[in-house]
Amino acid sequence: MSNYYNMPKLPTENSPKVEIFVDDRPVMVPGDTNLLEALKAVGIETPHICYHPYLPVSGNCRQCLVEQEGPRGRMLVISCYTPVVPGMKIYTPASSERVKNARKATQEFMLVNHPLDCPICDKAGECTLQENFMEAGQNESRLRPEVGKNYHGNPDHQFVDSKGQVRGGKHVDIGPRILLDEERCVQCDRCVRFMRSVAGDEQLQLAGRADHTYISTFPGEKLDHEYDLCVTDICPTGAMTAKYFRFQKRVWLLSHTPTVSMDDSLGANIWLDHADGKIWRMMPRCNPQVNRSWLSNTSRMAFQTFSENRLPAIDASAIKIGEGKVAIVLGGTCTIEDLAAARMLKDSLGGRAELFGGTFRAVGKADGIAKSGDPMANRKGFKVMGVGDNNLQDLVKRVSEFETLITVNADLFGEDAAAASPLEKIKNRIALSAFDDATAKKATVAFGIRHWSEVQGTMVNSLGILQKLNAAPTAPEAELRPAYEVLSQLSGTAITCASKAFKKAGEYASVLAEYSYDNIKSTGALLNGVEV
Amino acid sequence: MAECVKVCTGNFGKGAQDIEVYKKLGGYGDALKRVFEMSQFELIDYVQRSNLRGRGGAGFPTGMKWSFVPRNSGKPVYIVVNADEGEGGTFKDHFLMMEDPHRLIEGLIIAAWALGTRTAYIYCRGEFLPCIESLNKALNQAYAAGYLGENIMGTKFSLDIFVHRGAGAYICGEETALINSLEGQKGQPRLKPPFPAVSGAWKSPTCVNNVETIMALPWILQHEPEEYAKMGTPRAGGTKVFCISGDVKNPGVYEAPLGTPMMTMINEYAGGVVGGKLKAVLPGGSSCAPLNAEEAAVATMDYECLASMKTMFGSGAMIVINDTHNMVDLLNVLGNFYSHESCGQCTPCREGTGLLHRILNLIVDGKGHDGDVELMQSLCGGFGGVTICPLSISLGGPVSSYTAKFRKDFDEYIAKNPDHAKPRVQETYRPGIFW
Amino acid sequence: MRNHIQGAVQFVANNRLKFDRPAQPIEALPDPAQSLGHVHKAVAQPSAKEVLDKLSTPEVKARCADLLSRYPVPQGALLEVLWVAQGVLGWCPREAIRWAANVCSCAPAHALGVATFYTMYKHAPTGRFLLQFCRNISCSIKGAAPLIKYVEKSLGIKSGETTPDGLFTILQVECLGACGNGPVMLVNDEFATDVENGQLTLKVGSHLTEESIDRILKWCYAREEKFPKGEPVRDVLGGEVKGHGGHPGAPGAKAQLQSSDYAPVSPVLNVKAEVDANGATLTWKAAPEFTKLVVEKKNGASWASVGEPGVKDKSFVDAKGKVGDVYRMISTTGERVAKPSKEATATQKPEPVEKAV
Repeated sequence: MSNYYNMPKLPTENSPKVEIFVDDRPVMVPGDTNLLEALKAVGIETPHICYHPYLPVSGNCRQCLVEQEGPRGRMLVISCYTPVVPGMKIYTPASSERVKNARKATQEFMLVNHPLDCPICDKAGECTLQENFMEAGQNESRLRPEVGKNYHGNPDHQFVDSKGQVRGGKHVDIGPRILLDEERCVQCDRCVRFMRSVAGDEQLQLAGRADHTYISTFPGEKLDHEYDLCVTDICPTGAMTAKYFRFQKRVWLLSHTPTVSMDDSLGANIWLDHADGKIWRMMPRCNPQVNRSWLSNTSRMAFQTFSENRLPAIDASAIKIGEGKVAIVLGGTCTIEDLAAARMLKDSLGGRAELFGGTFRAVGKADGIAKSGDPMANRKGFKVMGVGDNNLQDLVKRVSEFETLITVNADLFGEDAAAASPLEKIKNRIALSAFDDATAKKATVAFGIRHWSEVQGTMVNSLGILQKLNAAPTAPEAELRPAYEVLSQLSGTAITCASKAFKKAGEYASVLAEYSYDNIKSTGALLNGVEV
Repeated sequence: MAECVKVCTGNFGKGAQDIEVYKKLGGYGDALKRVFEMSQFELIDYVQRSNLRGRGGAGFPTGMKWSFVPRNSGKPVYIVVNADEGEGGTFKDHFLMMEDPHRLIEGLIIAAWALGTRTAYIYCRGEFLPCIESLNKALNQAYAAGYLGENIMGTKFSLDIFVHRGAGAYICGEETALINSLEGQKGQPRLKPPFPAVSGAWKSPTCVNNVETIMALPWILQHEPEEYAKMGTPRAGGTKVFCISGDVKNPGVYEAPLGTPMMTMINEYAGGVVGGKLKAVLPGGSSCAPLNAEEAAVATMDYECLASMKTMFGSGAMIVINDTHNMVDLLNVLGNFYSHESCGQCTPCREGTGLLHRILNLIVDGKGHDGDVELMQSLCGGFGGVTICPLSISLGGPVSSYTAKFRKDFDEYIAKNPDHAKPRVQETYRPGIFW
Repeated sequence: MRNHIQGAVQFVANNRLKFDRPAQPIEALPDPAQSLGHVHKAVAQPSAKEVLDKLSTPEVKARCADLLSRYPVPQGALLEVLWVAQGVLGWCPREAIRWAANVCSCAPAHALGVATFYTMYKHAPTGRFLLQFCRNISCSIKGAAPLIKYVEKSLGIKSGETTPDGLFTILQVECLGACGNGPVMLVNDEFATDVENGQLTLKVGSHLTEESIDRILKWCYAREEKFPKGEPVRDVLGGEVKGHGGHPGAPGAKAQLQSSDYAPVSPVLNVKAEVDANGATLTWKAAPEFTKLVVEKKNGASWASVGEPGVKDKSFVDAKGKVGDVYRMISTTGERVAKPSKEATATQKPEPVEKAV
């Protein structure tokens, strides 16, 4: 609620380095940011609940206290709202008993009215409150049972439980995708700030005041926004939970694969959280240049269909490229490696092969959060690799010239059956696809390959950033192979590893030659000379 | 009781709500003429020389506060009069606005001249509807007489004053909370910096001044600043409107010079303690530490003396308590008040004030336990300087000082619980046979 | 035995539980309040149409337009618009909150947060006479608690409740700002400690007693007989103010921005000149907006410029200055030249007092 316009300044690689004194030791930290980020940059973690790097500072949790030497002696300040000043003297719990006690006291207050139901809480394991408590909390309650609890809750939802205790709403259906547990809310107002400042639609607000504050939408209205599931990511406690993931999997059983969403040409950075060979959820992965910490619902929920309706792996000898001209159509989710392999195949076929790319789906507008609106994810990659990214109409016009059609990850018939119908005139139709989609059904040979969530590879997003995909071990069949393996095998030079395929791509696109697959950072690399 | 110059309360009981009467009493006259010949800088310097300090509680020098406001920043400068008087024991602004609304308007014209304000707001708490009516009536008269609006009294200076009715939140007396409330948001204090003098209401420079501060300006401009400074103590000039309430014969609003001995205030102005012997005095509203009878005997009512006695002058609201009262009951009242009025922003205040109130309630209900007092003191330690605004300390301070100075009262109450010394059964949760 | 335990542990350790059930959203369980009972009774909310019918009168529209003209941003008027709605309806139903949000062009959820933050917006209908008793420190010292009990007993309801005839609602509130009259109460919006000549009064030195409460209640009953159709409307914002120009730039506002040259430009203040071995040193107090400063020295009947110190300088030395020279300073702000400062006659700088060792 505070000055809602003060976004935190985050350190960058170009931040000036200044010297400050932490616990009386000189430390070089980024000079243009707040203390919390500066300390983080040198490896000192400060517990915090309300602070989020991509939300305006609210400063209400009072958890990130440090001591600062000032004109009036050592004062407790919140590190999230204290700018770094060269030469400032800071004391952390490592040296200051006062800071330690203050954080412990705040932690105690935080839990006074918070239910202690971690064992049945879905956030347990990734709960900020829990982490802070384990680090700095007070192990034994100092309160007598008679003092009781004053659970936060909407008066409309409050009820008296079987022990006579007044309780807040435990599973409030706050929106189509989110459930709210009012008691677990710690009033950090992250979700309020997210909806107001990032989503631009103030659907949530803290109502009431003092220890009767509760989070609420306008009565009778639901929390419904393309980015509303981000609220469950930033909720530091188990108050807001996503219905799709609620009680599906304990979070400590999940493994995380960092990759890039090929749902949209912004290429939002994501974590694929998987266990038992199955993706359980998709979480945004922070990339300051791309999607910050946000991910749209569409991209996020897409994983639910990744394992459905898959094509089986068949023997590659089933693919027979006959005589006559060959059209190779590459879909938007093809990686740079796939494009390199496709060009190898074209080269091997000589002049009779042509590469086509594009989509029949409409291209929308960027929303400024985590979507560019372009369904053709690797469009910039096509440009970099010299593959047409929008010449499907050309193919449709010249359809009579071709005798073989190879589609790679391109569901032309599924996207627009009417526009794609002339392609049925081509006799030999080979579909390389992860899914048994409309194009695969129309194909003479449907060859199952791996989905983008299961492959190593790279893509260039709409901002010209080269990003790396990692394979989650969730392919339904071990025999399934990435598209570049299949294509390169068809070309006669089999490539079985993404780094080699990327090297090959460097031969076709000089801008990629200066990178090797292994030294692309997790946040990607901005390509030189790619128009944005 | 020495006769004192009445700076703010001079027109009380004279029917000054009417503009004609107010003008006859010297209003809208010399002071404004003098102001309209001054430059902004001269006027601020003039007020600085008068040593006028903010009367809302913090006692910040008014002239200095004004000098912080950047001039010619291209943004409008706002003055907001803080009439959100809600601290227990404070009721001076209520009567000042009821009795002499024109003095507030005249003071605002002076302050607006100093800061170049085009639009000024009077943030009046919602409970004071009669005051708002009185102010609006006065505003209507002032507009009709040409003292407000475009080109006031033939100058190029224009000013509009609006009364903004609050809706019941004590915390809106804090200046940044008040600004948030004026902006149509919840009245929650903002993080500082930026301070309101630089970026306040609608991100423009904003000065928030108490009613009494503004109402002292016409007198200061009618006289010389040194004359005003001379009346008070070296650190703070002028007279102060004291509110005396509680167990005294004549509770009410009294204007007296700063530095008047506390017992003079109680015995001569307010007619002495009734109903018993003096037990304690809260010298500056409900959030300050109490003084017991011995301390009250030597205290004087000014910023320095009270600060040296580890309490505060605040808004000059004395609450006198006689020995028939148990301090635990009063602390419980405060616990109720502050836990009700916490804005719900900072964790220690939001959860802590309610927790203290629950513990106090237990003690008052005869369910107190040994160690409760120490627990409360320890919890108040968690308030110290960690919240955005001082509301948590407004309860933490009294809890610490009441328990320190009147420990006997607490022990008496706790002794009412027959099981007060029974050791607490610590429920432990550790890996058991299930693991 | 030991083998048995080892076996069991190994069994558990090797037991790889697999949760292969299809991923399905867990449906929200039924609201426990339905089986266990709500703490608060649901307040019947009027429909949007009922509320909007009452709020779309010309008077309300004119009032809202006037309020919106007072603030640079429409949201500033939110508190006042909520008051207007409460004045018309007697309380703030949800649809009225939504209406207020629309008027002030802010989100309904924001208006909800505001309307629930402030305690004077009522979220349920109250009785015709809202009796608010202060329970804060000054009033409780003077015996507020027994008085509140007395009222509760004589009306037969508890605090927070409304009498069955819909006449009275009792509320305990925090400080009402009339502590000198404690214990004190508000009857609707009027402070009261007693009744005189058919009027509620708040006289200096008076406070509520059981008898005066009886008189106030009697006044309320008499009032109900006098105005059987309900309380006469009292303006919730204390009456309209005519003649104001609004906030510059707000919709419907006539006001223009303050002209920058309404006040004379500032001269230099506190000019002092002290002579020591280096000459005459001038000190002064300068306004931050000065753009130029000139020091002049009296030369017979005319003034001669001796230098132009920088606007940020704190002092200026005239090397030829002697005791008895008369100086003045002239400042310029932008295009405007101020009147000269007061003349300062140079005096001998006092010898620094040496401290006794």
